[in-house]
Amino acid sequence: MNAYSRYFFKKLFWYLMTLVIAIALNFFLPRMIEGNPVSLIVSQMSKGMTDSDTIKRVYETFMKEFGIDKPMWEQFVIYIKNLFIGDLGTSFGLYPKKVTDILTSAIPWTIGLQLPAILVGWILGNLLGAVAAYKKGVFDKVIFPVALFINSIPFFTLAIIMLYLFALTLGWFPLSGGYDFQMVPRLSLDFIGSVIRHHTLPFLSIVLVTIGGQAIGMREMSIYELNADYVLYAKLLGIRDSKISRYVFRNAMLPQITGLALSIGTMVGGSLICEIVFSYPGLGTWMFTAIRQLDYPLISGCTLLIAVTVLLANFTIDMIYGLIDPRIKAAQMEEE
Amino acid sequence: MKNSFVILLKSPKFMIGAILFLLMLALVLIYPQINRKDPLEMIALAFQPPDANLWLGSDNFGRDLFLELMYGIQTSIRVGLIAGVFATVIGLIIGLASGYIGGIVDNILTAITNIFIVIPSFVILILISVSINSRSSLVTAIIIGITSWPWTARAVRAQTTSLRGRDHVHIAKISGHSTPKIIVFEILPYIASYVVMAFVLQTASGILSEASISMLGLGPYNTISLGIIMNWALVFEAPVAGAWWAFIPAALSIALITFSLYMMNTGMDEIFNPKIRS
Amino acid sequence: MSANILEVSGLKTYYKTRLKEKVFAVDGVDFDLEEGKTLGIAGESGCGKSTLALSLMGFYFPPLHYGSGSIRIHGNDIMKLSKEQLRSKVSGREIAYIPQAAMNALNPTLRIIRFIEDIMKEHRPELSKKQVWELASERFKTLNLPEKVLRSYPNELSGGMKQRTVIAISTILNPKVLIADEPTSALDVTSQKAVIKLLKDLLNKKYIRSLVFITHELPLLYHVTDDIMVMYAGEIVERGTAEQMIFDPVHPYTKKLMGSILVPEEGMKGQKLAAIPGAPPNLKQVPPGCRFAERCSYARDECKVGKVPVQTNGGNMYRCHFDTDTLKEWYANEQS
Repeated sequence: MNAYSRYFFKKLFWYLMTLVIAIALNFFLPRMIEGNPVSLIVSQMSKGMTDSDTIKRVYETFMKEFGIDKPMWEQFVIYIKNLFIGDLGTSFGLYPKKVTDILTSAIPWTIGLQLPAILVGWILGNLLGAVAAYKKGVFDKVIFPVALFINSIPFFTLAIIMLYLFALTLGWFPLSGGYDFQMVPRLSLDFIGSVIRHHTLPFLSIVLVTIGGQAIGMREMSIYELNADYVLYAKLLGIRDSKISRYVFRNAMLPQITGLALSIGTMVGGSLICEIVFSYPGLGTWMFTAIRQLDYPLISGCTLLIAVTVLLANFTIDMIYGLIDPRIKAAQMEEE
Repeated sequence: MKNSFVILLKSPKFMIGAILFLLMLALVLIYPQINRKDPLEMIALAFQPPDANLWLGSDNFGRDLFLELMYGIQTSIRVGLIAGVFATVIGLIIGLASGYIGGIVDNILTAITNIFIVIPSFVILILISVSINSRSSLVTAIIIGITSWPWTARAVRAQTTSLRGRDHVHIAKISGHSTPKIIVFEILPYIASYVVMAFVLQTASGILSEASISMLGLGPYNTISLGIIMNWALVFEAPVAGAWWAFIPAALSIALITFSLYMMNTGMDEIFNPKIRS
Repeated sequence: MSANILEVSGLKTYYKTRLKEKVFAVDGVDFDLEEGKTLGIAGESGCGKSTLALSLMGFYFPPLHYGSGSIRIHGNDIMKLSKEQLRSKVSGREIAYIPQAAMNALNPTLRIIRFIEDIMKEHRPELSKKQVWELASERFKTLNLPEKVLRSYPNELSGGMKQRTVIAISTILNPKVLIADEPTSALDVTSQKAVIKLLKDLLNKKYIRSLVFITHELPLLYHVTDDIMVMYAGEIVERGTAEQMIFDPVHPYTKKLMGSILVPEEGMKGQKLAAIPGAPPNLKQVPPGCRFAERCSYARDECKVGKVPVQTNGGNMYRCHFDTDTLKEWYANEQS
């Protein structure tokens, strides 16, 4: 087995462990509190219904799904079994819709919004951070505080301000939703245009905040690299500054990839709340609705999906990083 | 330590941050002493624009937003500070134990830390908050604190591990000092500046976390925080009503508080971390 | 009679602290170096020897600044050149540098050959990649370095190999003067020997014409260098032939410095290891008069005021109030 596959399997093992723990937390945390919310909510739900047959049906569905009368570990086994067949239960709020179906409809919107936004924000932020570190002087004195200030604004705050400014006051962009509500989703220019118009504001607000955080990180990394011994040595061998700044950029950029992995959880969380502001038809908005209706299966489905996605993103980034950074390669060798 | 404090006073970034923070703190502590009205009292019509009487207008319930904002900032800062204390203390204990004891303890604690760094903390935050029926601001603060320690733990562990091999620690060990004594006198002083910086950052992120989960409707009950003001504005569609005063001041307040804390942190970083010095 | 290859006169360089104070780490240094000769510079840590090494390169990076004085290579003052002229004509070609921490002197994400290519692009742009490879592998072979090093990343090399690689890279353009700042201090004995042999090879094969070797290990200088200078608090306190400096030093500081080390040489056996009491003066507030007076057991009141004369002892110079005969007499009295 070569060094990279060892690295791969080691990482894989840890991520699987983490996944197991994430699933367990997702199951046990809400159930550890006294007055199991699941049984509480089922009883609350059934109170509001007058038709005794419906009550019975609803109650039985949830009893079966959660196995509330059974001991905790047995409930956990049922939960895992259902997970394996892709069954996350039935929504309380949108009964009898399955949670899996709701999530499936939401995922494309969330990914379509967040993936490009985070990537664009990450790239632009890193470029700005590197420039600020390299040019120093006035440039740094302007970019740095601005980035710091933007970074202090929570995702949704910027979203609300943009919503108010560009959608409400200036009327440049639509107020809410993923597309014009009178439209039927289909592959037409009109529809795609509508999607893009609705996409712009949430996209920009995520990009802006991501730029702030990444620029700060990159600036610090670059300053650290600029002070590294190899920079001085290369300068004293007569290598021109533009070349040296390329060394620095590359070396500062590589740790930023891990930085992306580590901050992706926070970013996804922030972006989800950003969706709420724009009533964007993604996961965040569903989670907001679910929380207001105490739709427990849907909340739990959302949190699990988010955790799994973030784990997956982290794992992917770790794998790419292991391939491209020779420093990691050397570390892999040493472990042999 | 006294010397580093004097140097800090010469860092413009730290001073800007500290002065901004203290001014805000003074305002929100003093104003409610002058205007002793109940912030939840409905005294006007819904979404009245700002005027000489209502400095920041009224919200959807016709309440004085300026007064609400004062209480909101108070709660947010308090939640942030308590969350910061919890996160820093837990992170410090785990990091010190992991770094100083080493061996199997280190392996286990590092594994746990790494796992909780990858699992998004807001997921855990939501799961716990959803399950607790009556959340006071203290409970919210503690929940935030116990979900955000892994960063501190990781960094403290790294520093402790490198300190453990230093001569002065060896000498203390050979001289027969007890482990707690070595940690307090030979390790803590060397990471003190780092711990203070981590605390400042944790406080800032605690304020942001509170705002985020309050926005989701999972914030503390029976209180006003900046996130809750924003949640009200959103639920009662203040943006659509054109009532910018219902959310922009709260939004800017969050940004200003966290900005001042970040500035303090950056100032300290430049002083204490010579690598960043340029 | 061979000409001077390097002439330094009145060189003053300083560090600017955060509080804008100037700290002169090199405070009026004069010396010259003949072609084909090796000069050692010794002193306690913090005496300014590493700063002197860096200052000789003519490039100053904050917080280090140039104060005054000249550095002439074959009579041309490199301090009169523009930064660009210095970079393209002098650095690496006329004068080259081996940094103190060679461990970190190489860009960790660049293969050795890529770095050599970058150097050649600056100084020998007419060479093709293939020619650069031939030249580099030829040079490495002559210096007994394995060719496969060229294809490696720095982290894949051992400490000793990394140090030798840095030396080979620094001298690839056949610079006239090589400044080696503590090239052996972080290495084990075997690697130290290899490095010394490499430096001697470079001189013998005339890849370099002269060497300035900086170290705190005096016995090493005896084996490597023709002349030795001792630095104290930013000044040269004594200069002489290696023989004379080791076995018959005149200046009380050199005397103490020699006494503070164990030299496994004939006639040095039985010498006691004696640390020099006290610490060098704070360079922020240099005392008037002799800078060593505080710690000197022979110091009189007159040492602490007035300018310290530079005296000669044969072809050697030293900086002290007392003449050679007086000092020698004191030393003799002390031993009996």
